[in-house]
Amino acid sequence: MTYSAEAFQNEFLALGATEVNAIVTVTSSGGTGGLRTSGATEIIIVDASGSMQAEGRIAAARQAAKAAVACLDDGVHFALVAGVGTAQQLFPAPGQLAVASAQTRSEATWAIDRLHASGGTAMGAWLLLAAQLFAQRPGDIAHAIMLTDGDNGEREGYLQSVLDSIAGKFTVDSRGVGTNWKVSELRKIADAMLGTVDIVARPADLTAAFEQMMTAAMGKTTADVQLKVWTPVNATVRFVKQVEPQVADLTGKRVADGARAGRYPLGAWGAESRDYHVCVDVPPGAAGDEMLAARISVVEGDTVHTQALVRAVWTDDAALSTRINRQVAHYTGQAELADTIQAGIEARKAGDDHTATIKFGRAAQLAHESGNKATSELLATVVDIEDAATGTVRLRRKVAAADEMALDTRSTKTVRVGRGQ
Amino acid sequence: MTDCASCADERTAGAAFCEVCGQSLAPEPACPHCGTPGGVGDDGYCEHCGMLAGRERDHLETDCGEVAASVTDRGLRHHRNEDAMWLTTRGAEVDVVVSDGVSSSFDPDVASLTAVQAAGELLVSGDVSAAIQAAQVAVAELAASGDPRRQASNPACTIVAATVRGDAVTVGWIGDSRAYWVPDVGPAEQLTEDDSWATHVIALGADPEQAMRDPKAHAITAWLGADAGKITPRTGEFVVGDPGHLVLCSDGLWNYLTDAAAFAAAVREGLREQGTLISAARWLADYANTAGGADNITVALIPVSPAAAS
Ligand SMILES: [Zn+2]
Ligand SMILES: [Zn+2]
Repeated sequence: MTYSAEAFQNEFLALGATEVNAIVTVTSSGGTGGLRTSGATEIIIVDASGSMQAEGRIAAARQAAKAAVACLDDGVHFALVAGVGTAQQLFPAPGQLAVASAQTRSEATWAIDRLHASGGTAMGAWLLLAAQLFAQRPGDIAHAIMLTDGDNGEREGYLQSVLDSIAGKFTVDSRGVGTNWKVSELRKIADAMLGTVDIVARPADLTAAFEQMMTAAMGKTTADVQLKVWTPVNATVRFVKQVEPQVADLTGKRVADGARAGRYPLGAWGAESRDYHVCVDVPPGAAGDEMLAARISVVEGDTVHTQALVRAVWTDDAALSTRINRQVAHYTGQAELADTIQAGIEARKAGDDHTATIKFGRAAQLAHESGNKATSELLATVVDIEDAATGTVRLRRKVAAADEMALDTRSTKTVRVGRGQ
Repeated sequence: MTDCASCADERTAGAAFCEVCGQSLAPEPACPHCGTPGGVGDDGYCEHCGMLAGRERDHLETDCGEVAASVTDRGLRHHRNEDAMWLTTRGAEVDVVVSDGVSSSFDPDVASLTAVQAAGELLVSGDVSAAIQAAQVAVAELAASGDPRRQASNPACTIVAATVRGDAVTVGWIGDSRAYWVPDVGPAEQLTEDDSWATHVIALGADPEQAMRDPKAHAITAWLGADAGKITPRTGEFVVGDPGHLVLCSDGLWNYLTDAAAFAAAVREGLREQGTLISAARWLADYANTAGGADNITVALIPVSPAAAS
């Protein structure tokens, strides 16, 4: 894999200004024909709680799990976990990982037919079993798919304590089927495990969702890429956020690397491109001073793949310091869009229609301005957008739960801007 | 006994390089901002305070002894020097160019450097107008190369170029970089007329004082660059009758000495106090920095004498 990093910013600051913003685009391209540089392990966790009997969910989940197994490349290690009140390994034998081949894929398919819905929901226990299985293959690209249809039944705080202990060890993409699960719970897992969360409202759509997740996972060729951020003395990193393809705040995941640098996990990479927003507070400089506000490196262990420089140049020329950088402005708007939608949903749930209307109005405006069509369409299922340009909306009296959950889970999806100045 | 920092081998007394790994044993330069020894990293920024240690173009001097001298300096308020200069001598023949990058354009420092090189190389022919036309072609081409942002805001600059052939001086310009004739005695003369908004409206009959107070006063009306269109460099030539100095400079100097008499007084004071051309040029750059150093400063000094006196 070869990586490139490019910083987009207005480096000119007014005298006295101390906040430096830049968008860093990291792009990777397959150097050796897109071959994996390490092994890969996949674990599929399917909720088999009693509620999965409803709406033919368990039958759809079986079919989806089979489709995911069919997507596994030969040689990939894998396991299937049935999620009930405890975690039960469905395939292969307890404590083992299988190596994907025509034979093991077919054996796994037989095992999936034994999946029956009866029992509770214990996401912490499911993830803990996955962690134990992944631990057998250190250095692998480690990825899990987790499907659920309801609330976690474990005692308050247990899931969080499990996430704290396993964060960064593997990636988890979570999907909720139906509308009886909590977006906040799965988002917590996605945030901790650098994965995605989405709703699959109709069980019939599960197969496509599983295939999409597994195909994406098979496209990853590098296990553990990190963003290393160096800042000068007396500077502080205000935040590091992934802003494309979706918003994910990485600020709290910093691991110190020496006195003036920190590493932020980016998870597994294939041939792809992602954007990061880095915001640094620096001591103010005098007119004409130029400072390196941050040196951003894409690293894998001790290997530095590429670097981008974020600069600060102080000037009394307002024509320079007031220039708006399109990338920074755009992604600041996209992050605000996600926050505003989530605040709107919170307000609506709390019965505060006034706040909800204001929030959704602002969201409609931001989505419209930035050309985020997908989010505009999702918003239109929850509010009637009278005038997107001014953010004039009316709350819909009847909103389908699935629509609101789709808006919630997909609120962090962003779009790119055209490049140039 | 000192060890090589790179390979920890003991150093041979007095050696400049480590015997084993070949690394230089000279102490790495300290950061000019925070003083951290060896603090400056490969990319020019201090590994401690992050400040840029300096750029090559921050301060440059060309010393041609008694024939000519020039100095360019970043000044105090700009983060880089976007002025550039060219000075060559062949015996008593002198070719000189000063260019000032338009800071609102992208890569103006590249524009000015490109301009002085393109014009400077052609001045040997003595055709100042052709040299400036060549600079325009070279600067205009920059827009379509390198960083794509150059297309949106193409690199642009001013230019003033001159040749001295015995007692004959030829000057040409585009923009507001200037040339003066400062005789040893008697009134000085500004040889160029700024391509600026103020000069333009004053020529059309506006009140000079009012025009100079306008925020647009210094906006230039002609420049080199892709968006400059067809340019017509203005030129002038004269034969000196009395000894004096040809002075070329960017607005970073003349902004502090706007009328010709004040400008000449400063040049004469620098020459009188310093003794050499290069130190006088340096003194003039310091003068602008002491006055505020709001812009990049470039100045070139070339003594010229009448044919009978040489
Ligand atoms: Zn320093
Ligand atoms: Zn200037």
